[in-house]
Formats: sequence, structure tokens, C-alpha cells
Amino acid sequence: MAAQNEEGDPAYSLRQIVKRFPGVVANDHVNFDVRKGEIHALLGENGAGKSTLMQILYGQYGRDSGDILVDGQVCALDSTRDAIRLGIGMIHQEFMLVRRFSVVENVIMGIGDDKRWTVDLKKAADRLRELSLQHGLHVEPDDIVEQLPIGVQQRVEILKLLYRNARLLILDEPTAVLTPQETAGLFVVLRHLASMGHSIVIVTHKLHEIMEISDRVTIMRDGRVVGAVKTALSCKDELARLMVGRDVSLRAEKAPRQPGKPLLQLEGLSALDARGARALNAVALTVHEGEILGVAGVDGNGQSELAGAIMNLASITGGRVLFDGEDVTRLSPAAHHELGLAYVPADRRHVGSLGELPIHRNAILGRHRQFASACGLMEEPKIGQFADALIERFGIRPKRPDYLAGRLSGGNLQKLILGREVMRDPRAIVIEQPTRGLDVGAIEVVWRELIAQRDAGKAILLISAELEEIFNLADRIAVIYEGRIMGIVKTSEATIEQIGLMMAGEAHPANSGAPQ
Amino acid sequence: MDQGFTFSVFLVAWLTAAIRLSGPLLLAALGETFSERSGLLNIGIEGTMLLGAITSYLVTLWTGSPWLGLLAAMLIGLLANTFLAWMYVQVQANQVVVGIIFNILALGVASYTYRLSMEGVTGPQKVAMFEPIPIPGLAAIPIVGPILFTHSILLYLTVALVAVAAFVLYRTRFGLQLRAAGENPRAGSAAGIDIVRMRYAGVLISGIAAAAAGAYLVLVQVGLFRETIVAGQGFIALAIVIFGRWDPWKVAIAAFVFGAADALQLSLQLFQVGLPPQLLLSLPYLLTILAMSGILGKTHQPEALMASYRRE
Repeated sequence: MAAQNEEGDPAYSLRQIVKRFPGVVANDHVNFDVRKGEIHALLGENGAGKSTLMQILYGQYGRDSGDILVDGQVCALDSTRDAIRLGIGMIHQEFMLVRRFSVVENVIMGIGDDKRWTVDLKKAADRLRELSLQHGLHVEPDDIVEQLPIGVQQRVEILKLLYRNARLLILDEPTAVLTPQETAGLFVVLRHLASMGHSIVIVTHKLHEIMEISDRVTIMRDGRVVGAVKTALSCKDELARLMVGRDVSLRAEKAPRQPGKPLLQLEGLSALDARGARALNAVALTVHEGEILGVAGVDGNGQSELAGAIMNLASITGGRVLFDGEDVTRLSPAAHHELGLAYVPADRRHVGSLGELPIHRNAILGRHRQFASACGLMEEPKIGQFADALIERFGIRPKRPDYLAGRLSGGNLQKLILGREVMRDPRAIVIEQPTRGLDVGAIEVVWRELIAQRDAGKAILLISAELEEIFNLADRIAVIYEGRIMGIVKTSEATIEQIGLMMAGEAHPANSGAPQ
Repeated sequence: MDQGFTFSVFLVAWLTAAIRLSGPLLLAALGETFSERSGLLNIGIEGTMLLGAITSYLVTLWTGSPWLGLLAAMLIGLLANTFLAWMYVQVQANQVVVGIIFNILALGVASYTYRLSMEGVTGPQKVAMFEPIPIPGLAAIPIVGPILFTHSILLYLTVALVAVAAFVLYRTRFGLQLRAAGENPRAGSAAGIDIVRMRYAGVLISGIAAAAAGAYLVLVQVGLFRETIVAGQGFIALAIVIFGRWDPWKVAIAAFVFGAADALQLSLQLFQVGLPPQLLLSLPYLLTILAMSGILGKTHQPEALMASYRRE
């Protein structure tokens, strides 16, 4: 207790929180403290229970037992309204904004303490301007939210909380959709808010950000708190070990390799998105055999259309896709597969797999003809053997071929999909956001496999919003911004700052750093 | 006869009828605007209009008071749409299916009730109606006077409701919350808005307005009840909401255009122009198909329209 007083008493405390979901204990007697004026990171793998814990604190989930203390007093907190009243605010990964509303409408919507039944937007806008000035969050109250960049939308979310006099701000994976520059800006704001006495919790699994921004870290694993440390007294490796319960290599080992001949070439490829707007603008890229070409970029800059256009799943408006010198632009996705071009989509649940079918059926998806007899009956023993082999090789859990794919965790599902594509022995792989939402253990498996494929001479187009992943895996990095390639650089010569600027729309000075 | 005189007679007749006919369309469409702004497509307004028509007819017949008839119709609209709102919001049934089935049900209920009530009565029984009230002074202005200022109290009220609806939607806390429910219910809920309540409110407002529109048909236009009295005007109101881009003022303009198209066919028949009336008669319906097809106005539609919402 003495140590605690030295640091200041906790402003918000969770005591012995228990939350059970059918079949799992999401929070198992969890204690968690946040002090006034500190930035506190909550670290854990997916499924460790950190989001559940924060949603309990924000009143979105009920709890089976345990107390919530504010300034040392036990408080009744059973709804979001209660949480807001107690000064708690949360920013979800997916912003809770009405896109067609103005900033000020978003900020005041749902505020219940004002008894008048008309709204005074002018007065609210004035207070909002004052708040934004005070905290360095530049936002114009009358702007319509859908016209604002993601970073500004996040500021609107922060202002929404401050407008409601939140003293504790919970941010769930706040940097997932930001450029490095926007992230730096966010961190400045968070430090300022902490210095004003606000408490801040960042839910994350990005170790380098924790080291950069947080004062203290609480680590969760399997629903329990396994450690609470001062950031300055810890290091990345220790945190990673606590998080996964064993040592992991945070860097992927990759031997230098001379790339082979060009295999997959895009020439001036343009395509529309699902709404018919231009999403891909004259993209030219070349992927060589034995090379990983990383495509970096903030989400929503044409990445999914790029992958879709290569496989002829998007509506292509111009340009060509060449595979081994042959024009395959208008060939069906199945024909692409036949040629040896594998595709691992970003949306694992809805595009990459059929959740209602078991593992063994998903394992043969797209090549079911090879597992059928001449008269069209499925050959179950052959399928079973194949599924067992796949499960074994990629360490899919549970080891049950009849388990429904839809019930697999994200990591195991991704192993299934990647494994399926790899076992076709393709010549090239287009892979989109391969480790999004995966825990460190699964990331390791996916990364190792991709490097092994590259070393085996496959051409890999890696589309990822995670810079850490791009820098660890890619031999060259192309940056996509609003459907255009802003530049291509060798990873060995690239810096995070330079890539970040390109992700924010600054063209690379020497526009093409491609070899040859 | 002087050509100019004939034309002005035609113009006055046409536009007066246009305004008179657009009244119930506007009333129903204004209500539907609230339902759709809260995120629910209430196709049941067609059937609700018919229930409103039969209720207002019978109650006015029995009491002799069109005001009581109107009030009773609105009450029935409220009750029937409480059921619809429950189906849409709580049961989360498909809004199109529920709406259409409800319309069929309403037709059955209305005609059965009418026959039951009229047993032993011979010949159509006309009920007391809302008579036109020429506004003193203004109604005497040539051309404009008769067109704008010789209508029933219900029309004047309906026009006033446009301003009220716009004020409620854009200037009140309730309107902000209702629109949030229709645009992004999850965000609204996270901000502390009771989405279920807002959506109930939207459907109930549309139900009361549609029932009043049905009463309007009986008490202002016909004075009688027929099974075909609504004849798709609820669907036309749905189209008007789309043409009106979910905004009360624009909805008012769209309602007038539809009313004018309907009146044109009446006036032209009166003046014996060579065009086949069937062609003109079908005009509002063709416009409706066009609007409902989704070619128009998709971009202005409330983002969560027809998306069900369940609390986590």
C-alpha cells in the first residue's frame, strides 16, 4: 500500500471482476487500477479478455461478480449511461460516429443531462471550439464527419468524450487505422490530456507503442492479469514473454535472396470499388520469383480492390495483369488458381472460408474435383487424410477435421486458409492483411510460412496495413495511397518515416525504387 | 369562348384539385419520413390508411362529427402500428414482408367491418365532411386565391405540419436522436440513445399520420367508404418520401407534384382533351415504380434504413 500512495491512489479500480461467457471465463478475478494523470496500456493477445474487461468498465457488459471503484468508493455501474456519469468514456476500434452528421451533432447526440428538448447547435459548437483549442484537437464543428480523414474522426471521438466531461478515456486499438504521422499526433494529444489530469487506458498488442507512450502496463493472458509493471522498468521482450507465456521472436529471420524472373506483373491496372467509385488508379507493380513485395498503406486506399483486380474479382476498368508473361486479366478466378496464383483474402470469415462447413471441406475448397470420384461422389477417406495432413503441418487447433470453420479462432482459421493455398503448391501468392487480429503465436506461424514460401521461389504480393509486418517480411515496399502507388523502395533502404509520409500521400522523390 | 379565359379556368381547376389531392399524400409521406429516418421502412401505411378511412367513416356516420371520426382513425392507426413496430423492432421480422401481409390483412378487416356495419342499409350513406374554408380576404385574390385559400381545415393543418416536422427533425433533441437511430444505431446507442424507443416513435408517428390521411380521403374528398378508396396512395407516399429525399420541405414539393399529376388527368377529362385518360391515370404509379426501383435517391437514404438492430 505504501508504494501505491507514493504513486498516487488509483482513480478507477476494478476488483475481482469475473465474467463468464458460455464455455469460457473471459475475466477470472481480474484486478485493474488506473491512476489520475497516467497513460496505462492494457496488453494481451486476442481473446485474453482485455476488451471484455474494458467493456465491463464502460457498462456495455454486465459482470458476474466484482466491484468497480471510483476514487476509492464502490459505485453502481450497470450501463453505459452510468459509466458516462462516472466520467468514463470509451473509443471503440470502429468509430461510433454518424457519418452524415456534422461534428457538433455527433458530439451532442445522446447527451441526456440537459432537460431542454430543443438543441442549440450554435452554443454547443462554441463550447466545442473552446475544448478543441484547449486540447490542441483541431476540428471544425460544422464539418460533416464522412468528409473528414480518419485521424480527424478520431479527434471527434476524443472531443465527444471530453465534452461529456470524461476523466477516464479508454481507447481500443487507437492506432490501427492511423498513419505513423497521425499516430504521433495522437500521442501528443494523449500526453497533453494526461498532464491535465485525465486518466488514459490504451488497449493494444503493439509493443513498440506501449514502450513509447505508456507509463504503466497491465498484461492479461487467458482472462487473468499476469503482470502490472512500470513501462520504464520493463522492455519489449519481457512484455512479449508475459503476454504469450513464452519467448517469441519479434523479428522474423530472413536470409537475403536474389529474386528470380518477373512472374506477376500489373500494367496500369485500374478498378472500381463496390460502390462504383474509382478505387485503383493505373497501378504498375512487378513481383519476382523468390521475392516478397509488400504493399503498405492505410486501410481503405485501394488495397482490397488491388487484390480483387488481380484475381478478377473486382470490376476492372483498365490495364493488364500478366502472369508469367501471359495476359490473365479477364480469366476467371478459378483459371487464376489453375495457373498457380493463390489468393488469401483479408476477410477470412466471409471470403476465405465457409463458416458453416467443417475444416475438411474448407481444406479442399476450390479443388474439390480432385477429391471426387469419376461419377462425382466425394472421396471421404482421401479428404480426411488431406485434412489431417493440413491440420498437422500448420498446427491447427482443435485437431478435429469435422470442427466447423466458423468456430475456429482467427489464428487457426488463417492457418487453415493459408495452409490450403500453400498445399496447392502455387507459383505466386496474393495475401491480404495476413495477420490482422491474430495473436503473436499465430503471427509467428504465418510469417515463417511466408518466408519459407519465398525461399522456395514463390512470388508473394503481401498487402498489409501493419508496418512492422511489411518491414519484417518484404524485400521491397510499395506504398499505396488513394489507389495509386506512391513509390517503391527496397526494404533495406527504407525508413519508417519515409514510408509513413508516402502513406499520407507524399510522393516518393525518386518515384520508382524498383530493381532493374 | 376566349382562349385565355378557358386556360385560366383550366389552370384554377387543375391546381386547386392538385393541392386538394396532394393533401393526404403529403400527410402520409410526412409520417413515413419519420419512420424511415428512424431506420424502418413502414410499408404498412397503405393498410393503415385504409383502416383510418373505414374508422373515420363509421365513427362519423354514428356520431355525425368528422372531428371524432378523425380522432378515432388516429387512435386505430396508433394501435395497429404498435403491432407493426413490435414486429419490426422487437421480432425483427422482414419489414417488407410484414408490411405487405399487414396491408392484405387491413384490406380484409376493413371490408369485413364495412359490410357488417352496413347490413340492412340500402344505398350509400354519405357522412358529414370537413367543408372548404375560404380564408377571408385572401380567397378573393384572382387565380391564386381559389387555388391556395379555399381548402378544408385538414389541408391547412397538413401544410403547417411540414414546418413542424422540419423543426422536430432538425432542431429538437428527439429529432437528432431519431435521425441517429436511422443512420448508425450502434453509434447512437454507444452515445446513450435508446434506439428501440426512437424506432417505435418513428413507426407510431407514421401510423398516426397514415390513418389521418385515410380519414382525410373520406372526410374531405369523398364522404363515403369504398374498399378501393386508398388505391395505392400509401405506396405513392413511399415514393414521395424517396423523391423528397427524406426531408419534410422537399417531401411537400414531391407530394404536390404527384397531386398535380393525379389532378391533371381529372382536369383533362373535364376539358375533353384527346389524350386517353388511362395514360395519365397511370402517371403517378409509373413515377412510384421509378422511385421505388432505387435508381433515384439511393445516396440520400438513411444509412441504416431496413437494417435491423439488436443490442449486444
